[in-house]
Amino acid sequence: MLVISRKRDEVIVIGDKIRIRVLRVGAEGVRLGVMAPPDLSVHRQEIYDLIVAANRSAASARGDLNSIASRLRQQATRSPAPQPQA
Amino acid sequence: MSACSSPVPMPLPGDVPVDIRDVVTMVAPMPGFEACRQFVVAVNPELAPFTALSGLDESKPAFLAVDPRLVLHGYDASLDETARRQLGAAPDDALLWLALVRAAGDQTLVNLRAPIVINPQQMRGVQLVPPDSPYSTDHPLFLD
Repeated sequence: MLVISRKRDEVIVIGDKIRIRVLRVGAEGVRLGVMAPPDLSVHRQEIYDLIVAANRSAASARGDLNSIASRLRQQATRSPAPQPQA
Repeated sequence: MSACSSPVPMPLPGDVPVDIRDVVTMVAPMPGFEACRQFVVAVNPELAPFTALSGLDESKPAFLAVDPRLVLHGYDASLDETARRQLGAAPDDALLWLALVRAAGDQTLVNLRAPIVINPQQMRGVQLVPPDSPYSTDHPLFLD
């Protein structure tokens, strides 16, 4: 891993299209500004990981889709179960 | 080069009987399935109210999805300018919104937080991953 020290308002350049600026440094954390082309998605890692986990658990073998659809339909039409804790 | 990055030949989507079949190209990688950029979208009565998304790569990931607006009344189906541009969508274009569903124990959950949006005119799609969202990845699905 490349380790770089930066102060407030200083910038890191990645390739020729991505710039990351340190906007604020405080006890709570660091605030960064990311400038990247719109076709590059930028995410907080924990959000990205959350969606990775949700996507993976939603994937199934394609031959089973009809039976899975009928099972999911049955489960969803039963009387409402208690809501999970947030 | 994976099968996913080449548009031909197009494998058939397994055992799913297909009434409407088209290949959607994801304009950004789908988290967890970054290598798979092409999906067959299948709508048919046996799957209703779900829509099937079958990935065209070696791992053949398949998903069932439902329009989030059917799941949650008042669901905010609005696109930011970046996503709209990625999809090549004009403001009045009708877009397909698909939230992935999955079984969890005896419940059916819907990911309302990161819906897949498809522009049928361009056959381009993207999974939205907003930094902040009022919606859950684990919204329980209840059908009437």
